[in-house]
Amino acid sequence: MSKPHSILPGFRLSLGYTILYLSLIVLIPLSAIFFKTALMSWPDFWALVTSPRVVASYKVTFGTSLVAALINCLFGLVVAWSLTRYQFVGKRFFDALVDLPFALPTAVAGITLSSLYSVNGWVGQYLEPHGIKVAYTPTGIVVALTFIGLPFVVRTLQPVLEDLEAEVEEAAACLGATRWQTFRRVIFPAILPALLTGFTLAFARAIGEYGSVIFIAGNMPMISEITPLLIVAKLEQYDYSGATALALVMLVFSFVLLFTINGLQWWASRRGQRGA
Amino acid sequence: MSIDIQNISKRFGPFVALDNINLSLPTGELTALLGPSGCGKTTLLRIIAGMESADQGQVLFSGNDATHLHTRDRQVGFVFQHYALFRHMTVFENVAFGLRVKPRKERPSDAEIRQKVTHLLQLVQLDWLADRYPSQLSGGQRQRIALARALAVEPKVLLLDEPFGALDTKVRKELRRWLRHLHDEVHITSVFVTHDQEEALEVADRVVVLNKGKIEQIGTPDEVYSHPATPFVYQFLGNVNVFHSRIHGSWAEIAKQEHQGEAVAFVRPHDIEITRDAGQGALQGTVRFVHPIGPVVRVELAHQSETIEVELSRERQQQLDLRVGEVTYFRPRQVQVFEDVQDFVI
Amino acid sequence: MQPKKSARSTQEPRWLRYSLIGIALAFLLSFLFLPLVFVFVQALAKGVDTYLDALKEPDAWSAIRLTLITAAIAVPFNLVFGVAASWAIARFEFKGKAFLVSLIDLPFAVSPVICGLIYILLFGSHGWIGPWLQDHDIKIVFAIPGIVLATVFVTFPFVARELIPLMQAQGKDEEEAAISLGASGFQTFWRVTLPNVKWGLIYGVILCNARAMGEFGAVSVVSGHIRGETNTMPLHIEILYNEYQQAAAFAVASLLALLALVTLVLKSVVEWRLRKELAAQDELPPDGLPATPRTAHA
Repeated sequence: MSKPHSILPGFRLSLGYTILYLSLIVLIPLSAIFFKTALMSWPDFWALVTSPRVVASYKVTFGTSLVAALINCLFGLVVAWSLTRYQFVGKRFFDALVDLPFALPTAVAGITLSSLYSVNGWVGQYLEPHGIKVAYTPTGIVVALTFIGLPFVVRTLQPVLEDLEAEVEEAAACLGATRWQTFRRVIFPAILPALLTGFTLAFARAIGEYGSVIFIAGNMPMISEITPLLIVAKLEQYDYSGATALALVMLVFSFVLLFTINGLQWWASRRGQRGA
Repeated sequence: MSIDIQNISKRFGPFVALDNINLSLPTGELTALLGPSGCGKTTLLRIIAGMESADQGQVLFSGNDATHLHTRDRQVGFVFQHYALFRHMTVFENVAFGLRVKPRKERPSDAEIRQKVTHLLQLVQLDWLADRYPSQLSGGQRQRIALARALAVEPKVLLLDEPFGALDTKVRKELRRWLRHLHDEVHITSVFVTHDQEEALEVADRVVVLNKGKIEQIGTPDEVYSHPATPFVYQFLGNVNVFHSRIHGSWAEIAKQEHQGEAVAFVRPHDIEITRDAGQGALQGTVRFVHPIGPVVRVELAHQSETIEVELSRERQQQLDLRVGEVTYFRPRQVQVFEDVQDFVI
Repeated sequence: MQPKKSARSTQEPRWLRYSLIGIALAFLLSFLFLPLVFVFVQALAKGVDTYLDALKEPDAWSAIRLTLITAAIAVPFNLVFGVAASWAIARFEFKGKAFLVSLIDLPFAVSPVICGLIYILLFGSHGWIGPWLQDHDIKIVFAIPGIVLATVFVTFPFVARELIPLMQAQGKDEEEAAISLGASGFQTFWRVTLPNVKWGLIYGVILCNARAMGEFGAVSVVSGHIRGETNTMPLHIEILYNEYQQAAAFAVASLLALLALVTLVLKSVVEWRLRKELAAQDELPPDGLPATPRTAHA
């Protein structure tokens, strides 16, 4: 790589260090997954990643993640909207509270939610008589993943909602649009890329989530067993190739999501430029 | 210190920012690099400062090759377009910075630094702001602090990138005059970049007009304004009426010049005379609009399918009493004709 | 005309406003605030003595110590990396920059379990260099080095991704000015760059530290769960919880919840400082988009 001209020093040193550290900590270890999987034969690999218990775990993982991300989109939008548009008592407290899932270790979240929603728990005891079981069911997984994913949606939407120009909404109102029409035709299209980005971020995080889920899930094979747990289970049985094969499937899916997020952000910035 | 720029070229990818520039700037002069945005003027300034490297060519300081000299060692003072004041330092510390980072042996004592910074702040008339932070200053004040900071290290050359670009009109005019006076006081070789022709003409000793990476003209403000060397300079410095010889044959005649083929005649709005009677070589035009703007009155005349802009003094308009819809006659006092400018786009 | 309509044309009717705020607050209270309160209530459910006993227990102590050690190693490592990466990325133009930035984000996209797995594949007894390590009697996996490595991996991007946008927004004018005034590279970095990014740096460190102390999945895979030796606080909580020692589990959890609260408070303070600084810079004509301080994304 040729040195770009700049009077600021340290380009080679800082870039060299960045690449070296990135390679040692992230790239080389990650590549181990690919090399390890490459040692398996294709039929073995395919049989492993499509065995019934594994497929059931995909369904649980992706299904609950999808539902949780959708719930987060809905409530995240309401939360972000209220925090940016309205004044109310304790707003700063609630704003800070949104970040709790980032700050609270997942194991703590896991045991807390599990105890809260168990049959005798604060919340669980009121749900039980109505026949709603949360802890140790896929519903419990959705609860944990909703907890984990909320800040992603809110924090992605907030700056976009703040940056929306009041003039645009005023213009829509002057042109005779009702508030609902303004929202649907002016505001919503403007925040759509951010909402999709937030959705994808929450979804991606939910798929890989482990700590908060395993306590509340009950971990019953075929019903409430998530893929990351299956990886751990295989590792504990010293089935390294099995664990690696599953990890590869998840990794590939994560990369696809990462590209989707980058693509969405690129799309959003392009739309921003066109509008400007 | 004099600066010589020899055969400097610079590209950014496919974009040619500077194309074989040759220029010499004598000691003690205040030179303006004038041109539209993207003409390469800021790149040229940064090459002089050593912040950008040229693809080819040389920069000489007092006749010595400085092409590969690091910015730190060039002894240039650079004033950035957005001032680049250190936001976490007070005004005093900003100005003192260049002195404080000198190698221990050359570093002045604290007392000397204090004295020098105070003197500089007095020079830019802002000594009462020493303890403020940049965010507490107005744009004009920031500009002057940036200048004081650049002067603190006693540079041999002062380079200013769009020094008044981010200021509002009134402050801009005051600062212009102030910079002119300051230069008369310190007499340091100075170069500033601007896209504002009025600024260049008012402040500079010499104006270098740049367009698309090439020098169009070098001269005193009066030379470039009164005798533009190219159609571009004519157009860029002030309003102008353009006539194509093919369409307006008679105008070429007025210029008393014979032209073969394509030629374009340029006439400034204030160089057109409006009369009530058809004198020799006068053309007919219908008054479309009369706008009094401050000391002048702008008149638009319709001549065939063209619109001609004329500027009159208020007195002249009072004599003529032009009304919209009237038919009058007009004639240029000064015309400049350029040949072979087919590619000239208006 | 219609007196009931709200005064401003761009505001929702009052009933809608109140219902939206109501829904938002009810959601936040039940989903976020309730669990937080629950942790402390459970921790103290059996009295202060039980609470303190649970924390005084030697295994709890060793877990706390290991968590602190891990964070004390992982955070500085990623801090140095973050500064180097943001200097290269925000101050220079080079090919493949966008790609490098997405590579830095990579650890956020990887499941914590996989973060642990890769180190087992490398350093485990059947791993690439596992046998060599065994011959030389070096333990990485199921020991402290493995825990630190896994923690470094999962907290890898935090500092870098706070600093890069901040430094890009600030532009390099001030550094160029410092150089043109005769400052050396080190002087420029120390006197101009660092003070300018101070708050962004602290912000990144706070987030990095919170994650480093709270990481569960990745550490769980590489730790081997040896009580009193390779258990961090989150792992210790898991063991206590699975042994039905609710009060003890929540006692240790309350420490981490306290850490989360401190993190949130610090984060709000620093965010406020950052906003103030970016606003001040907004007045100085900006060279880039002033980025709102953003929380880390996975």
